[in-house]
Amino acid sequence: MIRNALGRELPESIPGYGVVKPFLGHDKRVPEGNRDGGRIKATFGNQTDKVLPDIKAAIAASGLKSGMTVSFHHHLRNGDYVVNMVIDACAEMGIRDLTLFPTALFGVHKKLIPHIKSGVIRRIMGSVNGPIGQLVSEGGMEEPVVLRSHGGRPRAVTCGDVHIDVAFLAAPRADRYGNLSGVGSKSACGSLGYAFTDAMYADCVVAVTDCLQPYPIGNVSISQLYVDFVVAVESIGDPAGIVSGTTQITRDPLRLLISRYAAQLIEASPYFKNGISFQTGAGGIPLAVTAFMKEAMKRREVKGSFGLGGITGYFVDLLKEGYVERLLDVQSFDLEAVRSIASNPDHVEISADWYANPWNKGCAVNMLDVVILGATELDKDFNANVNTEADGALLHGIGGHQDTAAGAKLTIISQPLLRGRIPCVVDSVYSVTTPGEVVDAVVTEYGVTINPRRQDLIDAAKEAGNFPLLSMEELLAKAKDLVGPMEPVQTEERIVGVIEWRDGTVIDVVRQLKAKA
Amino acid sequence: MRLRRTMLYLPGNNPNMLLRGHLFNPDGLVLDLEDAVAMREKDAARILVRDVLRQGNFGTCEVTVRINGMDTSYWKEDLEAVVPAGIHGIRVPKVEDPKDMVLLDETLSEIETRAGIPLGKTLVFCLLETAKGIWRAYEIATASKRVTAIIPGGEDLTADLRTNRSAEGTELEGVRKMLVLAARAAGVDALDTVFPRITDDEGLRKEVGFIKQLGFDGKSVIHPNQIPIIHDVFTPTEKEIEKAKRIVAAAKEAAERGLGAVSVDGRMVDRPVVKRAEFTLIRAGLSEEVLS
Amino acid sequence: MKTASAGTVESMDCLVTVSEGAPGSGLSIQLSGAATARFAPTMRKAVQEVATAMGASDLSISIQDNGALDLILKARTEAALARYRGGDTA
Repeated sequence: MIRNALGRELPESIPGYGVVKPFLGHDKRVPEGNRDGGRIKATFGNQTDKVLPDIKAAIAASGLKSGMTVSFHHHLRNGDYVVNMVIDACAEMGIRDLTLFPTALFGVHKKLIPHIKSGVIRRIMGSVNGPIGQLVSEGGMEEPVVLRSHGGRPRAVTCGDVHIDVAFLAAPRADRYGNLSGVGSKSACGSLGYAFTDAMYADCVVAVTDCLQPYPIGNVSISQLYVDFVVAVESIGDPAGIVSGTTQITRDPLRLLISRYAAQLIEASPYFKNGISFQTGAGGIPLAVTAFMKEAMKRREVKGSFGLGGITGYFVDLLKEGYVERLLDVQSFDLEAVRSIASNPDHVEISADWYANPWNKGCAVNMLDVVILGATELDKDFNANVNTEADGALLHGIGGHQDTAAGAKLTIISQPLLRGRIPCVVDSVYSVTTPGEVVDAVVTEYGVTINPRRQDLIDAAKEAGNFPLLSMEELLAKAKDLVGPMEPVQTEERIVGVIEWRDGTVIDVVRQLKAKA
Repeated sequence: MRLRRTMLYLPGNNPNMLLRGHLFNPDGLVLDLEDAVAMREKDAARILVRDVLRQGNFGTCEVTVRINGMDTSYWKEDLEAVVPAGIHGIRVPKVEDPKDMVLLDETLSEIETRAGIPLGKTLVFCLLETAKGIWRAYEIATASKRVTAIIPGGEDLTADLRTNRSAEGTELEGVRKMLVLAARAAGVDALDTVFPRITDDEGLRKEVGFIKQLGFDGKSVIHPNQIPIIHDVFTPTEKEIEKAKRIVAAAKEAAERGLGAVSVDGRMVDRPVVKRAEFTLIRAGLSEEVLS
Repeated sequence: MKTASAGTVESMDCLVTVSEGAPGSGLSIQLSGAATARFAPTMRKAVQEVATAMGASDLSISIQDNGALDLILKARTEAALARYRGGDTA
């Protein structure tokens, strides 16, 4: 056993994962050597059409064999048909032992469970949730799931930690020569940010579209340079699951209260000035924080520079009304965002690599002032857990949590102290996703708790004096007082999940849950 | 002097709200055993409210309980359960007879004596929900030393007046004026009825501005999201605070030097002006400046 | 069979159902809900305390929990037991 920089005990090597490089601290590991790459290929003038008749033909043409790695992006979210469609076809073709390397999986992918049980899928490197997460937590997969952040994943690909054999890219719109677009069709999803690295580094790229148009299309996100084959299918996804309608600000009083405190902290911070950049995401609290921040920006006549990450209609309004000058969009959440990215030159599509990869020549999170995040648990050292639930089940991906926390100058985790009886602040988190060294403050319904290493923020908050301030010790005591003693999670020794820090070191592992008596 | 800008109703059978209500920082809480609790849940709510009170974590809020009306069979049991558990006051619905205040006073005294609580500690907030109650507001407010505030009803009262509640509140205008007059004459607080349209933030802001101008000290609240808006309206502006500070300081200095009247910004400052300035500072949360 | 219940399945509440047990069976307590994964012993203790204080025995108490703190568990158990005694079968 070895201990990483957070004192987490890890084996030196994990079956199905390999040698463990222990977490050293948030910006300690630096790469050496050259980037990895996909296979080189010639395409001459006599080859002017990349369209194949169906998925099976594309799988055959791609050279996909048992034991290889296939990748997918999650821009179609819970509306996605493509992952299930491709794996079904692989199963029918007798391909087995695949490593599934999605940017994320959703509830709709629970249809993969029979393929996991039958051995078509041997390993998943990517987020698991819902029924698949439960299956993994209970020991239902041979090899551990490997979790990487939105920035850690392109890092793993570009440096060669993960080699993609075939990337299947769902494309809302495509032409016969493999130019792909996320807008302008019935299955529009906006940004194709998560698909870029896969397109550039996979040995073979298969685009799957339900809107095949004559060459060349406009609004190209991923160009013909990277795409080997194009397959047209009836439908790549359910539009209702791909994008949501208009995003409403929550009226839930508890969430509004927390959001107000978070916005007041931001306003009190030194970053609240002209040029402020922020990422708030799409959840109930973050969106309300944005609304309160907008009020403050209006009142204090502050103009921001850019909004980052997953973009909603609310951010589109901020852009239109001049509260920010640019949106850097890795993922478009709703119809308004999809419309805007298609038409507004200040609404810029960025890749996951551009967004968050620590091993390139500068990613966007490095330019970020403020990020609002959530967590299922935090501990007295401000370490955050977003992957496991209170019962120890591995049910959530990392998303951009690690990356934005590491990059932003002010990282705020806002979360009700209690979800039912489950507290979000504990002595020691069950598993660590993001280390306390990059978390600056926790905001709950009891007020604002600032990491003691940020004395500057504590001083600024005291100076503002318009929201309750309490120490981590006080917050933890409050939680314990309310909920009473907690029993530890009962686990087996076997590791079912490996949580990588964005630089490829292991920050923690997740163990198999003990079967319920 | 206690601020009562906002007194938030918490449904008595809802653990979530009972435990979290104080987090929204209202000036006071009203744990409700009356209208918010169905008939068949009165017993369970009474136990729940009693236990939540015993646990006693309400921040700086003034804690009160709305008991069932004195015309029901529940009110004594309600008092027996909640008064010994530790509260600042009780809110009594549908008061219209000063004699009821005498009976209530006696009952409370008995319970306080038995529970070892200082006699007279439990305050009474009277809801006047009928025309008769409003008409006798002054008598009710002075019937017991315990009475600390009077509050007009909303729906019940307008029904009794043979009208209904409108967005403009025309039907309650006279009632509200009478209530402030009675409260001031009796030396108790005037607290307004709830604003029922919980998503109408602008309507609420307008109504609070109106009742503040009439002289009300605060308002009953049915949704936590209303609290910041009401506080905002009741909180004096920076300019008002600055002026009040100068007046209070000048008055203090004059008192120390044995002078009768002083002038601030070239205007005579007499006793009522000083009193209003002190009140402004209290509302701004600066009561220490008044007391020191 | 004689039963009585109190509480709700709303967030931070619980539904406590008391029913007749076999003579000499003592108390049997069944817990369900997400919080049981980490809090079952404390929850059991809270229910037990109230039942003992009220001298209840030979009963089956079932808790359908949705995140109730101990104080709520206790209040709901007391109300359910009181209703059971009072013959209220609501």
